[in-house]
Amino acid sequence: MDYFRNILGAPQGEMQATSGADTVERLCERVSSSTLLDDRRDAVRALKALSKKFRLEVGTQAMDILINVLEQDRNDAEIISYALDTFYHVMSNEPSDDDDSTPMNSSLGCEFTEIFIKRSENVTLLLTFLEEYDFHVRWPTVKLLTVLLSNKQKELQEIILVVPMGVSRLMDLLSDSREIIRNDALLNQLTKGHGNIQKIVAFENAFERIIDIIKEEGATDGGIVVEDCLLLLQNLLRNNTSNQNFFKEGSYIQKLKPFFIIDDEYAASRQGGWSAQKVTNMHLMLQLVRTLVSPNNPQNQTVACQKVMNHCGLLQDLCSILMATGVPADVLTETINTVSEVIRGSQPNQEYFASVLAPSNPPRPAIVVLLMSMVNEKQPFVLRCAVLYCFQSFLYKNEVSQSQIIQTLLPTAADANSITAGQLLCGGLFNVDPLSNWFSAVALLHAIVENPTQKEQLLRVQLATSLGNPPVSLLQQCCNMLSQGGKVQTKIALLMILCGWLADCPIAVSHFLSNTANVPYLISQVSSSEADDHEVIVQGLCAFLLGICMLYNNDTTEAFTKSALKQVIQNRIGLESFTDKLIQVAQNENYTRAAKKPHLYHKHPNEIVFDYEFTRLFKMLENEVLKAVSGTGSVNGRLPGGPGIEHYKTLLKEQEDQVLALRRNLEEMQAFSSSSEKTVAELTVQVQQLKDQNALLKAQKATQGTPPPAGPNSSSGEEVEALRRELDAMRLQLKDKDAQLVSMSSIKNNADATESPSSQHNGSSPELDHHVSDNVRLQELERS
Amino acid sequence: MSYAYLFKYIIIGDTGVGKSCLLLQFTDKRFQPVHDLTIGVEFGARMITIDGKQIKLQIWDTAGQESFRSITRSYYRGAAGALLVYDITRRDTFNHLTTWLEDARQHSNSNMVIMLIGNKSDLEARREVKKEEGEAFAREHGLIFMETSAKTAANVEEAFINTAKEIYQKIQDGVFDINNEANGIKIGPQHSPTNQGLNVGGSGGNQGGNCC
Repeated sequence: MDYFRNILGAPQGEMQATSGADTVERLCERVSSSTLLDDRRDAVRALKALSKKFRLEVGTQAMDILINVLEQDRNDAEIISYALDTFYHVMSNEPSDDDDSTPMNSSLGCEFTEIFIKRSENVTLLLTFLEEYDFHVRWPTVKLLTVLLSNKQKELQEIILVVPMGVSRLMDLLSDSREIIRNDALLNQLTKGHGNIQKIVAFENAFERIIDIIKEEGATDGGIVVEDCLLLLQNLLRNNTSNQNFFKEGSYIQKLKPFFIIDDEYAASRQGGWSAQKVTNMHLMLQLVRTLVSPNNPQNQTVACQKVMNHCGLLQDLCSILMATGVPADVLTETINTVSEVIRGSQPNQEYFASVLAPSNPPRPAIVVLLMSMVNEKQPFVLRCAVLYCFQSFLYKNEVSQSQIIQTLLPTAADANSITAGQLLCGGLFNVDPLSNWFSAVALLHAIVENPTQKEQLLRVQLATSLGNPPVSLLQQCCNMLSQGGKVQTKIALLMILCGWLADCPIAVSHFLSNTANVPYLISQVSSSEADDHEVIVQGLCAFLLGICMLYNNDTTEAFTKSALKQVIQNRIGLESFTDKLIQVAQNENYTRAAKKPHLYHKHPNEIVFDYEFTRLFKMLENEVLKAVSGTGSVNGRLPGGPGIEHYKTLLKEQEDQVLALRRNLEEMQAFSSSSEKTVAELTVQVQQLKDQNALLKAQKATQGTPPPAGPNSSSGEEVEALRRELDAMRLQLKDKDAQLVSMSSIKNNADATESPSSQHNGSSPELDHHVSDNVRLQELERS
Repeated sequence: MSYAYLFKYIIIGDTGVGKSCLLLQFTDKRFQPVHDLTIGVEFGARMITIDGKQIKLQIWDTAGQESFRSITRSYYRGAAGALLVYDITRRDTFNHLTTWLEDARQHSNSNMVIMLIGNKSDLEARREVKKEEGEAFAREHGLIFMETSAKTAANVEEAFINTAKEIYQKIQDGVFDINNEANGIKIGPQHSPTNQGLNVGGSGGNQGGNCC
């Protein structure tokens, strides 16, 4: 052992590398040639010691030899553990503590991993080591597998999937009481992005085991183990419908509930609020819930989970976190997001949410309290986004809650003393903070989206302006604000609410058009040329609004009827320019980002431009607007011409009749063809018979001719003469028949294609009769 | 949603014999005529009653295609019951039963109850495998047998429930070790006498990997 001790002790330098390589070589030789286990063990230990510093050398020279050790010496835990550690050092890309990591470090580990897993037996071998209970074997195996997985995830996943019981063996690690082995990092790596492995892991009772571990470790108060467990759970459930279904059916949602009960004493006992670990755990716990009810899941799946969450009281617990004190802002934000997705589109859950009261004095609905933070500039940006998302989810696909919100804006419902959602939204819409304007406008948009009744109701809203001036309608106030300029975000927000309001609501359109200033304003916006990035969006939206005014115009405003608007657009803006402006909206990257999912995942206020629901509206109407504006003749783009359809219907009917007639025709043809085929066959047989008879007769005649038989010779000579004549006649007829046959077969060939060959068919039967009678006569002749 | 027992099932058999349709008919009571290839494995569940006891069935419907065989094999070990399905209108699916059975016997626990199912019994006109042949095969290999139609729902309930009855009977007879969840059986929360923890024991210290 002296020689390598010297090397390890030697000062750094060129010499060391070369001698290091030499040593590795010598050690390898010793491992492979020594007959004594002790010697081999020493050599492997030495290799292990060198494997960090001389990764390349050890990796290239010792790989096969060490694999051999794993196979041959598996009864000796010590040597196995050294060999596994050596592999770990060679594959691991983590910079070792002592060296100043060489630049090629990271690719090296991957390359060695690739070599190692090329033989899938090696992986199988590693998996069998997991069955060894000895810590010195199991632990380095776990480490090695983890590093292999992180280097070549996809490849290794496929190998493990195929190894019999491969996944099960890894799963058994979860029942190891030694935390360092139970560590879920390995399972996390294993399951990442691989649906089939995720399902097998779930089948092996992973949910139950993991939730038990979380419980044992103190749930959210637990440490890193809980964090890993939660990450693993998320891994198993994200985008995996089958596992989500299993999770729900296995009643695991109910088992999550206790984790969300917040202990008030906890906050009280800790002066500095929540620990970082608890915050992390809580975040993961909330995200887990969101995974189950994500709007991206199949709808029936989400609905079923939402139902369970309401029934088991999880929603209630989440709502009490909303109203609890001492909850860190980011946890609160995530809780709001979670509540949003638990109630989104589920009527009972939305109803429950509407009934939640905040513990304030006097008690206010939770919705109102949340909206207060939304329009409050001082609240954190992400929190305000979360509140808007929550409000949107509360209104999503729920006409009742939509009307509840609009009701609070109407004069009749006004209760002077209490703050209502409507007041907050109107206040937010017209205050000086552009973000508040945006949030409020989008919130209002969601209260009327796809709901014509509420669009009309909203028209009734009047706003009191400064004393002495007459009240102004909400719609007109929006237009006024728009024309006064202001921040881009405000303009976009107002345009979105106006577009959403006017779409599919002709009364709103005519209200809008009745103010003669509005259309000229839009025209001037669309036709102006100067455009920075955001100005382009404003122009595009103005074009869209103009288009909507045209689409849903009931021609009640004389100055701006459908055709008048079309004229204006074509003359003042130009079709090309209009189309261009409209298209640029959908091409904007903010638009694409917003259209992806309903959740607002903005990090910075500047990213707030479009609303998800608005992008849907835009997508739906963009083409119709273009068609209506560019369409020549009738502007009635929305109604497909009735007579046109009638025309096609009759055409279809005609064609169907034709097809039927042709089909019948074809059947007839086929029948005829087969019958004529039969005739031809019969005729062929007859002709053959005739030929045979003819030949026979000839032969008879010849034999009769040479030896003149005794008998009535005189008469026989005449008879022969007569017969010969008849025979000639027969031959002629035969030729005739042959010709006929040829023509028959050609008829047959044409039968399928020919239109009506029935006359020819009829013509053939007398011929046939004729033939038959000839045949009879011939037979008679023969007999005589 | 409490239950006395929970059984895990798998459904196996050639591709296109109607495994997913059987499951859909059993869990959702509907039939989907379009063949939608199962990728890997899909999960379904339903509650049934046997002997006045609530029994939860968790069913894993596997892909029949050869390329998924290695994946589906992972599910044999943990299942208490298996529905082995063939298509009575396709002789080859019947001929492959032996292979399926060998595979199942090799990878599953020995007590797994296997129900042989001849599916598509509504297509009498196109039948290629006689009912007697199915019965004979089942008798020979010690399976329960039934002909079903996932389309008309004929015998579908019975197939799943009879399998459960068989498992239940085995539990009563003490054949199944109900405390070992690896057998695909679990006792319901209110029935379990003790809550067995995860403690395995052992004292492995934390000194691995520092030898030189």
